[in-house]
Amino acid sequence: MIPLTRFRRKALPLAAVLALASVTGSGRAASGDAASSSGRAAQSGSAVASGGNSAPPTAVTKPPAQAVTKPAVTKPSPPTPANLEALPASAYTGILGKKIIGPDGKELGLVVDVVVDAQGGPHAAVIDFGGFLGVGSRKIAVDWRLLKLTPGAPDWKISLNISRDEIQGAPEFKPDAASGQMVGPPPQGPPSHDVDR
Amino acid sequence: MSTDDRVAGIGSAGKGRGRPAATPAERSLDWLNLFVGNIQTGFGPFIAVYLTTQGWTETSIGLALSLGTVAAMASQIPAGALVDAIRGKAWVVLLSILAFSISALLFAVQPAPLAVYVAEILHSFSSCTLGPAIAAISLAVAGPSVLGLRFGRNARFAAIGNGIGAVLMGACGYYVSERAVFFLTAALTLPALVPLLPLARLDYSPPAAGAPQAEHASPLRALGDRRLLIFACCVLLFTLGNAAMLPLIGNTLTKTVGSEASLVIAACIVVPQLIVALASPAIGRLAEARGRRIVLLLGFLTLPIRGLVFAAAASPVPLVLVQALDGIAGASLGVMVPLVTSDVAGRSGHYNLALGFVGFAIGIGATASTTVAGWIGDRLGQPVAFASLAVFGLAATLLVLSAMPETKPPHPRPGAMAPRRRRSE
Repeated sequence: MIPLTRFRRKALPLAAVLALASVTGSGRAASGDAASSSGRAAQSGSAVASGGNSAPPTAVTKPPAQAVTKPAVTKPSPPTPANLEALPASAYTGILGKKIIGPDGKELGLVVDVVVDAQGGPHAAVIDFGGFLGVGSRKIAVDWRLLKLTPGAPDWKISLNISRDEIQGAPEFKPDAASGQMVGPPPQGPPSHDVDR
Repeated sequence: MSTDDRVAGIGSAGKGRGRPAATPAERSLDWLNLFVGNIQTGFGPFIAVYLTTQGWTETSIGLALSLGTVAAMASQIPAGALVDAIRGKAWVVLLSILAFSISALLFAVQPAPLAVYVAEILHSFSSCTLGPAIAAISLAVAGPSVLGLRFGRNARFAAIGNGIGAVLMGACGYYVSERAVFFLTAALTLPALVPLLPLARLDYSPPAAGAPQAEHASPLRALGDRRLLIFACCVLLFTLGNAAMLPLIGNTLTKTVGSEASLVIAACIVVPQLIVALASPAIGRLAEARGRRIVLLLGFLTLPIRGLVFAAAASPVPLVLVQALDGIAGASLGVMVPLVTSDVAGRSGHYNLALGFVGFAIGIGATASTTVAGWIGDRLGQPVAFASLAVFGLAATLLVLSAMPETKPPHPRPGAMAPRRRRSE
């Protein structure tokens, strides 16, 4: 199983350095640009790099280091891909950070990661639950099929038909571990027995 | 406001026992400590929860928090030196609190990466200037002879603020929204500015200037003082054993206790603050009457006890009861860090630099603590992790016992003992 976050791990420190460099190096105007352009980018970690690296659609003068290989011409804005497909909010939603509602109608936790299989399909949701002001929360992987998604506006309702008591004893999910476990569907024997692959 | 009334009641009860009534400056300092304790709560582990709700990945949250940690570590000592250099300590407090407001607003308004990084760095740096500046003001308000009592009051009011802050922000996050917690934090910075007005008029010339024997040393000599180095080692070891204790207990509780786990964890946070509020003045008196070593030993010894009980116990009631011992340690450390540092460097002109140095040691201990405890917990299980933290606590206690000299000034020094009062009035 491959957590999504692993793909972003390499890009992020670089993105941070670039973002910070834009504050210290190119002054207030540049940092203002970076802040506004990365505002939308907060949804996906890898897009953070656009804050300090790739040019916004409007013309921006490049640092002199770039001029060694290329003539100092302002870059035209990239063309819109021809093969765009619609992602209506009524049919699709991002899931990171969304709240999971338990059977009692109370918030169970937040989706912090999605575990995918070799085909790229979702296999488990990693839920961060419990705690007080961030102290003492635990991450537990739950079989993707146990999530019930109800489209709605502005946010979808994502519910899990397992009570807190049934999942709290599951082992903590570690993204770096060689093998982990997730909570499977209840009828198929004891939950801890349902080992991922 | 009912909480204010209660707080004022506790404050007036604490100054009894035949001492003169608190001056307006002392009262202002009480309130300042309370409000500053209040606003610190929102910036802790809760940032991770908030950023998660904003769609941040684990990795980027880890990066932002690490950035804050690194910034805090890097700025402790320079911030101390800066506070030493600035005469108007109240201004340092004012700017630090305003930086807190900006930081909280940045989190609330625009949780985009750059804004969050800036907010983390801003908060880290200003918390490094805020603590030393408040300690320096305390030095000026109290004068050396009653400094232990003053720091006892500081710790009491900071703990009351902390406890109230945790309850307010926990409720705000639960009933309103995660984002509202940061708006609340920003709003709570405003009342912290009010008690600054009377404190701005105090005389903050270094105490040594008024004393006959001025001990102006070079910064390096101030930091190289053997007593300060040993003390820093002691608090580093203690924090190494202490900082991971609460997250580890919280994690255990979430696993073992049912749906009320959050409430039990809240109790584990608020109950020690109540104990700090109750015990700090007595701790301060004890330090002035019987010396610093005994207070340090008393506080540090609670850590191995907690670690061993947590390693063995599983049910929530003994956990919360024993966690209350954290309040004794918190009161002891809260009073001893500024007090011992003042014993050693208070007259050197480098008091805040020395405080920054001790803060740096605490920061190293805290950062290493969660890493070490997590590593041990993953491989050998929670009980072993608790036992290891107990061993660090025992080592800190033994280090105090064997190496830490008594820093309490042996007898009143004629020139330095008169409490320094305000210029005007």
